[in-house]
Amino acid sequence: MADEARKKEIYEKLRNGVIQYDEDACREGAQEALDAGLDANEAIFDGLVSGMEEVGRLFEAQEYFVPEILMCADALYAGLDILKPHCKQMDLGVRGSVVIGTVEGDVHDIGKNLVKMMFDVAGFHVYDLGRDVPLDKFVDEQLKTDSELVCLSAMMTTSMVGMPTVIEKIKAKNPDCMIMIGGAPTSKDLADKWGADGYAEDASNALKEAIKMVGFLKKLRDEKLNKK
Amino acid sequence: MDAEPLKRFLKTEGATLVGIGDVTAALSSEIIHLRRGIAIAVNRNLNRETVDQLIRLQALAEGWLRAKGYRSLSIPADSDRKKDKMITKLYKLFCHKTAATCSGLGWVGKNGLLINREYGSKLSWATVLTNAPFRADAPTSQSECGDCDLCVRHCPSGAVKGEHWTLADPLKEIVSYEKCRALKTRRISHSSKPNCGFCITVCPYSRNGNNHGTT
Repeated sequence: MADEARKKEIYEKLRNGVIQYDEDACREGAQEALDAGLDANEAIFDGLVSGMEEVGRLFEAQEYFVPEILMCADALYAGLDILKPHCKQMDLGVRGSVVIGTVEGDVHDIGKNLVKMMFDVAGFHVYDLGRDVPLDKFVDEQLKTDSELVCLSAMMTTSMVGMPTVIEKIKAKNPDCMIMIGGAPTSKDLADKWGADGYAEDASNALKEAIKMVGFLKKLRDEKLNKK
Repeated sequence: MDAEPLKRFLKTEGATLVGIGDVTAALSSEIIHLRRGIAIAVNRNLNRETVDQLIRLQALAEGWLRAKGYRSLSIPADSDRKKDKMITKLYKLFCHKTAATCSGLGWVGKNGLLINREYGSKLSWATVLTNAPFRADAPTSQSECGDCDLCVRHCPSGAVKGEHWTLADPLKEIVSYEKCRALKTRRISHSSKPNCGFCITVCPYSRNGNNHGTT
């Protein structure tokens, strides 16, 4: 088992790898974490996610813009791909699966991909339907996978209008399924009106929400660890 | 801000053409802060070495800009786009022809390809977007194809419509990509070079005594 200093060094490498969008550093750091016998979940949260939190801060401070965020996300994935297979299922009560996609007529999927990243990090099983997804495909996929959560994304008003149809159909077949909508034209009012359970405004807000949620998970985990 | 030092630097490093375009009008919200497009072209066949050369030139431009405290985003050559990356999503928000036309290095011909007066379509392009406040070169606003319709007559798929491009309406469909693609799909089964390339070979600007570089 690695000593504390080594552990800190590796987590710092992962964190900085994400912040400086250095995919190679993230890959190396992830491999070092595994070689040193560190816990993969911990490496993800205290290394990669911690870096992404800083990225979110830099974005709010307008130090980073969308291109930087996407490059940071790519770096995070470079590390995540290596660590993920070694993750123990986290017992945080958030286990589950999610169906996600951009609705028919819309090919904008940057926000959707950032939200997807949050679910990947949190250990969800993600069924990513991609973009320009026929409305019924969401309903079918939810039934087939029995996912607890369905996320619908749209950037254009013209494609957003398909959302209430999907929500209605899914809720009719499976009232317990949670549905989140997101994208520039959506609003809390619309989410309420259509019976969706949550909403995120656009790619940058999606990232902020994603970080908040992952931060919350991290807190839950820390509390759990402290109790032991 | 004067862009000449950067242009000179990239040319000594092997770029055939370098232009600075004001690309503001073509930017989507994700990249709206990067208002200058540095169009970089090399007159070589598009192959792995050419792509590597473009990547090297982009990295040099980025380094030059970073050293002066500016942001940049490299849009790689069209044939060098890794598919499964998040950043890839941004690449298709910007097209090299925009940077090239905005910096006055050519126009979009009737064949839908960027045509430079000296090199025709025989150039490989890459773009670096930046927030450095460079003085922009004068854009090309009109097609210089004139009455020539060789590519219209020689296109085996009938995809070239004969329309004139203008900077004011860059999104007009000049070539039926559907027809062009359909022919390419048919050719893939029996040819290792599915792009027929007639619209380049017949173009007087591309023929114009211009062989590719030594490769």
